[in-house]
Amino acid sequence: MTAPVTDESARVTSPLTIAVTATADTAGDALQRRGIFTAATLDRCISCGFCLSTCPTYALTKDEKSSPRGRITLMRALETGQLADDDPTLIEEASFCLGCRACEPVCPAGVHYGELIEEWRDHQWRGDQRPLLVRPLMWMVDRTWRYGLAATIRRHALTRRHTDGPHLMLGCFERMLFPRVSRVTRRLRPELDATPIQGCCGALHAHNGELERGRQLARELGERLPGTIVTTAGGCAAHLSDVLGRPRVMELSEYLLRQGTPPLTPLLVDGRRARVAIQDSCHLRNGMGVYRESRELIRRVADLVELPHAGTCCGAAGSYSIVRPKDSRRVLAPKLDEIQNAGIDYVVVVNPGCQRQLITGLRRRHSAIRVLHLAELLGMAAE
Amino acid sequence: MPSNPAGGASVTMTSDPVTSRVDDRLLADLESVVGEQHVRHTPGDVHPYSRDATPLFSSAPDVVVFPASTQEVAAVLRLATERRVPVVPRGAGSNLCAATVPVRGGIIMVLTRMEQIVEISAVELLAVVQPGVTTAMLADAAAARGLLFAPDPGSRIVSTVGGNVAMCAGGLRGLKYGVTRNYVLGLEVVLATGEVLRTGGRLWKDVAGYDLTRLLTGSEGTLGVITEITTALLPMPQTALTGVAYFPSLAHAGRAVSGIITDGVVPATLEFLDQKCIGAVEDYAHLGLHRDAGALLLFGDDGAPDVVKRNLQRMADRCAAEGAIDITVGGAVAESEALLEARRCSLPALSRLQPLTVLEDATVPRPRIAEMVDRIDQIAERYNLLIATFGHAGDGNLHPTACINPADGDAAVRVERAFGEVFQAALDMDGTITGEHGVGAAKLPYLQARLGADQMALLRRVKAAFDPAGILNPGKLGS
Repeated sequence: MTAPVTDESARVTSPLTIAVTATADTAGDALQRRGIFTAATLDRCISCGFCLSTCPTYALTKDEKSSPRGRITLMRALETGQLADDDPTLIEEASFCLGCRACEPVCPAGVHYGELIEEWRDHQWRGDQRPLLVRPLMWMVDRTWRYGLAATIRRHALTRRHTDGPHLMLGCFERMLFPRVSRVTRRLRPELDATPIQGCCGALHAHNGELERGRQLARELGERLPGTIVTTAGGCAAHLSDVLGRPRVMELSEYLLRQGTPPLTPLLVDGRRARVAIQDSCHLRNGMGVYRESRELIRRVADLVELPHAGTCCGAAGSYSIVRPKDSRRVLAPKLDEIQNAGIDYVVVVNPGCQRQLITGLRRRHSAIRVLHLAELLGMAAE
Repeated sequence: MPSNPAGGASVTMTSDPVTSRVDDRLLADLESVVGEQHVRHTPGDVHPYSRDATPLFSSAPDVVVFPASTQEVAAVLRLATERRVPVVPRGAGSNLCAATVPVRGGIIMVLTRMEQIVEISAVELLAVVQPGVTTAMLADAAAARGLLFAPDPGSRIVSTVGGNVAMCAGGLRGLKYGVTRNYVLGLEVVLATGEVLRTGGRLWKDVAGYDLTRLLTGSEGTLGVITEITTALLPMPQTALTGVAYFPSLAHAGRAVSGIITDGVVPATLEFLDQKCIGAVEDYAHLGLHRDAGALLLFGDDGAPDVVKRNLQRMADRCAAEGAIDITVGGAVAESEALLEARRCSLPALSRLQPLTVLEDATVPRPRIAEMVDRIDQIAERYNLLIATFGHAGDGNLHPTACINPADGDAAVRVERAFGEVFQAALDMDGTITGEHGVGAAKLPYLQARLGADQMALLRRVKAAFDPAGILNPGKLGS
């Protein structure tokens, strides 16, 4: 069984010679780049692996390919043609990723993973490769009149006058699913202008492989709502600020902290202060760094209970819960356990996708814990 | 330079009998051992395992297996030895010396499914864990029982304990607390030929036989696969405080470090940043650092509150005596945490300067740190490179960090040559080529300069005794 011993170090002259001969991705110039990804963003990853600890899909599989670092390695292979467009792992992992961007705050190299996943899907999901279930959603919000029509049956906040803002963005899904949120928001801050014809911010498009259309929709919305745009949806806020610039966009909690709230009375349950937890919006927290503000506001009206993984994705992830319901529920399950074990009365959300996800999940478990948008919680305290 | 678009590394090493011969029969056999769903072999499945945290190194394996037990590990290794197929054990793949890059293809054996904390004993001050438990998981579980798992490598949130032991990971507390090897009491290890051994055990005192536990610690996956670790714990220190001092030059800071230790203090924290690091950190994090200072020294200690307070005062006094420009001592744990931020964000700050950051870890005897950093600066200047240095002043472990743009002509070649000189400079000062990152594929070419031909030959004989077919992590230590 004994292998002949050879003097390896005599032949191997330099580590980088090995590296460059053995490497076939971004280090060498042997392979052409295809231009699918922004080179500076893709090259930034130093493969340290810190992101593994925060990735919800890696937590499910413990397999490198389902981690941000592994996906970036896959993107590099796609970029250099080492893996073909129709490689099954590429197709699966582009879709399995929640796009929650939990990897970004822990990244020592500052990789903008959110941009990379959008570029990946933009390439990977051309034409009939896009998940079937997303297509009608995107069609729906692509023209303002379509969801405008749908929303006429629900009474959300509206103003007929037209001003220079600040404007309250109504959100395509929120105005259909949770119209109360914008109504309460306008009661909290009546100066907010809620013009009915707004358009979609384009986040859904950007996250589902139509990057340019997603940006165009954001720019159009920015033209219809000049000045500051206030939004009650964390996902929309992050996309809008990416396209229109951070100064134009304020998420509700930021806006309320700056502008103030009407007088608030602490909320009581059974004669004691209500116990309230928050589930962060991934893009709001990881993309915009906004998460302290909502907690500050909750503390004004209730006892804040911090969930151990409040900053981890609930599995709603935009259209993910519709496209991959089974994986979405696997991501949600430990979150629901935490919520049910926290001894709380309410769980607060700052994004309609999370709101729908938690309501559905808790209802399935027959839980008495109520899910409220931050605006709704503050609205109760302002009454 | 020759290129190999196929991505395999077989071109560089041809005479070794161990090659990746993964065929359908082997795949079927592996599947029968660990289950079909725990064997991956499509190009997309194996590609993510072509890298670890080492820049510029990548080479894809042929197959990835995820065993769940010692028995499965043993069965896989027996198959690999029988078929002469390389096996590279892997935890989180966060090492910095290409130790887990499968340079000859073959099988990557991922141990993250073995992630049970078997036992934490407050009475015996030890923990028994499976290799896939992360360092942070173990540290948190120990902390919940009022105990300290002392080794704290920078990658602790992701690195596995098995990986820490295989690489003998270091960290920020080396001077006072030592490194991983100082805590490993016993190991369960599977040899390449499938025998399961238990070395050491639960005892601090045990001299029965060669110290195989220490030999395996830092063996980088070349002698066996670690399947269980018994590690010592300590009582959790009551408190920790940190201070920061600025000096006109690193030479001043170096004298302060020597003075602190001759004063009889063995601090838990003694970290430095050179001027280039201070500038990069300040540009990045805006902490209000003095960017005109020649060096920044973080000093700190942990333990009983009155002792910690006294030690901090003594260290601050010594810094003042050695010409510190400015000294701040954190009055509370939170303040101390804020001071440590400058050290923590050194790498992020530097990695934003250029697309590629090459982090090295040449190490010299503690009194020669300033001299070494001078040498590094001279070398960097000669090769027209930006190399900033930070590191562990307490144990002489330097992290010269080159920030380059690989697209910039021959930058990668210049870095390679410059670090070749840095390693030689460290050796000239009785130092070493790597203090805590390991040898792997990255440092192997420099190993003979450190060890000499006789020791290299002995390493190969040791390797052959453990792994006669040479299947375990070939192309690394002992090859």
